[in-house]
Amino acid sequence: MLSIEENQLLTKTGPGTPMGELFRRFWLPAIIPNELTPDGTPVRLRIMSEDLVAFRDTDGRVGIIDAFCPHKLAPLFFGRNEECGLRCVYHGWKYDVNGNCVEMANEPPENRFQDKVKITAYPTEEWGGLIWIYMGPENLKPELPQFEWARVPETHRHLARWLQETNYAQGMEGEIDTSHISFLHGGLTPYMRDNPDKRPTRQGATRNLALVDGAPKLTLSRTDYGFVYGARRDTGEGDYYWRVTQWLLPMYSMIAGAQWPRGGRAWVPIDDENTSVFGYNYNPEAPLTEEQIANIESGQAFPPRVKRGTHELKDGYVIDHNLGVANKGNDYLIDRDVQRNETYTGIWGINEQDRGLQEGMGRSVNRSREHLGTADQATITARRLLIRMAQELQEGTEPAIANQGDLYRVRSMDIVSPEGDFQRFMDVFTDEAKAKA
Amino acid sequence: MLTKEDNELLTQTGPGTPMGDLFRRFWMPVLLAEELPAPDCDPVRIRILSEDMVAFRDTDGNVGVIDNYCPHRRASLFFGRNEECGLRCVYHGWKFDINGDCIDMPSEPAESNFKDKVKIKAYPAKQYGSCIWVYMGPAELQPELPEFEWARVPDANRVITRFIQHSNFMQATEGEIDSSHVSFLHSVFDLSIDYHRDMRTGDQKNDRNSVLSYKFGAPQLTVKETDYGLTYGSRRGPEEGNYYWRVTQWMLPMFSLIPGPAWPRGGRGWVPVDDEHIITYQYSYNAERPLTDAERARAIDSMELEHVKYTLKDGKIIDTYRSVRAPENDYLIDREMQRTQNYTGIPFGRHQDFAMTDSMGSISDRTKEHLGTSDTAIIAARRIILKATRDLQEGVEPYAASHPEVFHVRALDIVSSEGDFVKLLEADGQKTLADM
Repeated sequence: MLSIEENQLLTKTGPGTPMGELFRRFWLPAIIPNELTPDGTPVRLRIMSEDLVAFRDTDGRVGIIDAFCPHKLAPLFFGRNEECGLRCVYHGWKYDVNGNCVEMANEPPENRFQDKVKITAYPTEEWGGLIWIYMGPENLKPELPQFEWARVPETHRHLARWLQETNYAQGMEGEIDTSHISFLHGGLTPYMRDNPDKRPTRQGATRNLALVDGAPKLTLSRTDYGFVYGARRDTGEGDYYWRVTQWLLPMYSMIAGAQWPRGGRAWVPIDDENTSVFGYNYNPEAPLTEEQIANIESGQAFPPRVKRGTHELKDGYVIDHNLGVANKGNDYLIDRDVQRNETYTGIWGINEQDRGLQEGMGRSVNRSREHLGTADQATITARRLLIRMAQELQEGTEPAIANQGDLYRVRSMDIVSPEGDFQRFMDVFTDEAKAKA
Repeated sequence: MLTKEDNELLTQTGPGTPMGDLFRRFWMPVLLAEELPAPDCDPVRIRILSEDMVAFRDTDGNVGVIDNYCPHRRASLFFGRNEECGLRCVYHGWKFDINGDCIDMPSEPAESNFKDKVKIKAYPAKQYGSCIWVYMGPAELQPELPEFEWARVPDANRVITRFIQHSNFMQATEGEIDSSHVSFLHSVFDLSIDYHRDMRTGDQKNDRNSVLSYKFGAPQLTVKETDYGLTYGSRRGPEEGNYYWRVTQWMLPMFSLIPGPAWPRGGRGWVPVDDEHIITYQYSYNAERPLTDAERARAIDSMELEHVKYTLKDGKIIDTYRSVRAPENDYLIDREMQRTQNYTGIPFGRHQDFAMTDSMGSISDRTKEHLGTSDTAIIAARRIILKATRDLQEGVEPYAASHPEVFHVRALDIVSSEGDFVKLLEADGQKTLADM
């Protein structure tokens, strides 16, 4: 539970908000590189309540600039992307990827007005399968987080971006909520209970152990990058099924999996009621096979089934985004007969299940009305940490982790072990917890 | 005309508002019973008096109306599993029964007693008169169900629809006690055309409601305050020495009975979804015999309803019926029809009303209106409900809520030589009492 004030502190990331300031100290994923082609169609973005347009210029460089031309605030989305710049089609003003006005065709050249006008342009980096953006103070530009998935060869990873119609924190909290997988994604229905032979089998043998013990015991360990926690389930055979998950500042997850590829997500606020979710899957040991890529792109887990489209936000601004095929408007294609007999939810995909529940809370849930139990310890800690860091930044303490990119080189774990104590477990498996790339 | 303050008092029914408190003393319909057709059927999302709820029928056939959001992390219970006498949230498996008790919490250790400390909001629900009713007030004040005749006749004698309207409850309710608009909004130039009426079938030329209402546009209204709210007589004529009287009831907090010369007759209940939407329950019944298939079909088909997931202004979704004639398509107005056949260019009465009451804006600004003598009943209804609201704030409970027998009345449509309403009631008052 949070007070109304704490809830606002946690969820609001627009310019000038404390959490917005904290997020603006980090490089954040902005867009997938293949969404932009040289001189191709610009893409409308909103990031942390700022309206931006992304384009790739003739030389292949990426610019992310204000969505509106500073002249008359016309939308640059309709602009001409040509000859190393994006030109507003209203009066022909043209900008390069750095935000310089490189031509002002409707003013006499002797005025030099063009040298006085700049458009907001944020630094970008194309790296690790993403285009990253930094929206903070120029003199504090941090290091890129050295995630293993970003450091492996391009052939070893898969990245995707899709829309979630909630505040970022609502989705992010689902990542560090291990107990829900025993229900939402794999609950035992009365039908399965009464017909053991009809229980679904899932890939990765240990995964089914989540079904055995729905009340995992969580142990949390604070780290420089955020925290890591172990969720311990009793296998019923004298040992433990451990899922070790990281939560990394300001909003990344790393999900445990029994085998490669494994994945996780980044939750980038569009505004306070919508999120661009970036999902990664990777294998540090080998290129992803065609079959694995087909499996990822089937939409059964992360990413969900999507189609490219435009989405009008509440105030009328339109963004270009991948949109869930199963969505709020169609109740996530819930099939109540399937729910009765075959699966816990009757909703097909894993993310579709998550999104159904998280979007169903409303766009920004009122945390003053919830009831958290022992299973929610990780959620509680993430909130406290973010709120504290946002408050500390207001008082002048910069987040150290923003400049310690190498500390992001960690791995999640999914292991059955007789060891019952989390600290001793982590001592035993120190090497497994380190990124190799 | 009302002051801005009185207009807010009149129109706001969310938790903690004075009018909201008054509504919460009464049972209100929330669903048609047929929308929860069988034990363990799909849950249905509703919003009532600005509270988001989910309704379900459990394995034993009992109906629960509980908070739409699981108290754990506020996920929607609409996606829940309705099984083994409870609705289970699919997020972490918490399960609630129709009384709001948490009966399973499998995500917490077995030795934890957290389950016993968590309750979900649950309101008493009953099935009655083809509807599911809910009581949202203080438990110790829970009254008996209101004894409406339409609810007490056998199911076969009744037809009921429900549908969303895009305005505050009060401006729609006021249309029910506004006799004079019948002469304009609902009028038809050519009585051989079978428009307008959504309840009765048959030849309009022989329907005195239509003939006389269209002829006399300035009825004289007399209001009588009653235990249940008010009744008023609307007098048209005289013609050949007789008056055409329409006697209508408006019943607290938001029900109506509409007169008609023959069965079936009906009325409506206007249940606030929030301050800017209502679900209207439109009932039509015959106290004497089952409805025919044609009568039933007329009442349903004329509404042109679709079952929809309706997105409210804050993005939340409810499951309801909605007419295909809606604000965004101008109620499919046919201007040629308006020129040549009827007053509005919209065929049926209810849709004609929609166009008017929706077009006032979701909450009508009553500081800017101009009321005349034909608005006497509207003025009286506002005064009565505002007084009941203020009284309740001072501790005086509404009499009608705890006296269900006061609703035992009928509307009346009569031609009489009597010109005085009080004397008319003395002579024909028996006809305004319900049989059932």
